[in-house]
Amino acid sequence: MKTLADLPIVTAAGLRPDARALLRPGELTACADGRRHRLPHSFLEVPSWAAARSTPLSPHFNLSELMLVDCREHDELLHGWPHYVPCSVFVFASYLEAFRRKVGASVYIAANGGYRSPAHQRAGVPGPHCWGCAVDIYRVGNTFLDAPEAIRKFAAIASELRSEWNVKSEHTDDHLHLDLGYLQWSPAGFDDA
Amino acid sequence: MTKNVPIQEIVDIGTKAGFSALAVCFYDYARSVSFDHQGDRFFHAASTYKAAILLALYDAAAQGAVRLQDFLHVRNRFISVADGSVFRTNARRDGEPAVYRSVGRCLRLSELARGMIVRSSNLATNLLLDHLGVERVQEFLRKNEIGGIRILRGVEDDKAFEQGLNNEVTAEGLVQLYRLLCSEHFLDETMREEMRQILFAQEFNRMIPAQLPGSAEVAHKTGEISTVCHDAGLIFTPNAPPYALAILTEATETIKTRKKAVAAISRLIFKFLRPEEAAAA
Repeated sequence: MKTLADLPIVTAAGLRPDARALLRPGELTACADGRRHRLPHSFLEVPSWAAARSTPLSPHFNLSELMLVDCREHDELLHGWPHYVPCSVFVFASYLEAFRRKVGASVYIAANGGYRSPAHQRAGVPGPHCWGCAVDIYRVGNTFLDAPEAIRKFAAIASELRSEWNVKSEHTDDHLHLDLGYLQWSPAGFDDA
Repeated sequence: MTKNVPIQEIVDIGTKAGFSALAVCFYDYARSVSFDHQGDRFFHAASTYKAAILLALYDAAAQGAVRLQDFLHVRNRFISVADGSVFRTNARRDGEPAVYRSVGRCLRLSELARGMIVRSSNLATNLLLDHLGVERVQEFLRKNEIGGIRILRGVEDDKAFEQGLNNEVTAEGLVQLYRLLCSEHFLDETMREEMRQILFAQEFNRMIPAQLPGSAEVAHKTGEISTVCHDAGLIFTPNAPPYALAILTEATETIKTRKKAVAAISRLIFKFLRPEEAAAA
């Protein structure tokens, strides 16, 4: 079995049946950008919160930070284990790490602000959060991003850092949204079938 | 029996304090009697309605709509019922700083419920009301036939306040609400006891409990804004079943001694309903 950071990687066939129905792996779906994209098809299988907390994605971010959801997540995905998170979080975390290096301070991701499933109440029309390629940052260092100046400041830093960042700062007032769009990623040597 | 209620003394306390309106209602389980003075008059609810959210939350949990141990994202961002604009609660006006320290992260529904009651957290209240939905809380009140509590919105929705869109309560409505906590027909005893324990842990105790003997235990929720000052709850004593009591007051301006006046009214009612225990104290 292929693993990443000691966690098994699974595709549709390897998901729990109830989770497969909710995650809809590989399904072509209308998305928040007005286009159609295929939902993630390869996932890390996370057996527990302890495992999520002890799995580093980059020097300053661990898996649990990118998968923290509240009770708005679908009950079966919230309470049933294992949990599943798209493999793309590994790629995404490297971008996030670069942002953290640039700002030189801790970057805090809000609950529901990392990966959320297409069945999450806040998912609505699926967007990059459902691909594990988006974060809502509510705090950088000691600065809470609940004022336009603070949000704009860190949005500008992200935009200047990498052109791949999709930065949304105009329509938020208590966080900075960063995403990479709709990234599908399977590690080398992994069979997507 | 209720004709002997010292209503003139109660009214005199209110008049002396400068209240422009005073309502009192109680139901005594020891004698199965009730009494009210202006019991159906609506007042601005202030924070008294948070007790209704507590009961609605447990009702939702009993129906499987929520799990009390589940986590909820603590986000200080709410939508005004007046015009859809965004507003935030003010940490400096909130009795429970711990909820603000969790902004961005999660707290359990049970933790928020406790913060909402014990230290009257406005942020916890708005989070729970948002999560449950105003309609669910209203439906809870409707199905339990509590017409004396009207809930429209969360706390610190200043634009709604300016438009007169306020939560309102009557003394009768609050007494009906607290009586649910003693009713075999409302949820199960474990849940009722959990809610009573949260209300017993109330830290704002300068009104109903303030002048009662130490043996009296009060499960209650206060409510204060500039012009109103209320308290309502259940009073338990060692030798008798409890009684439910609501004391609601209103004035044209903030009165410094208003809490003492409510406490004095509570003591008068205690002496009337539990004379032996009052004498022994």
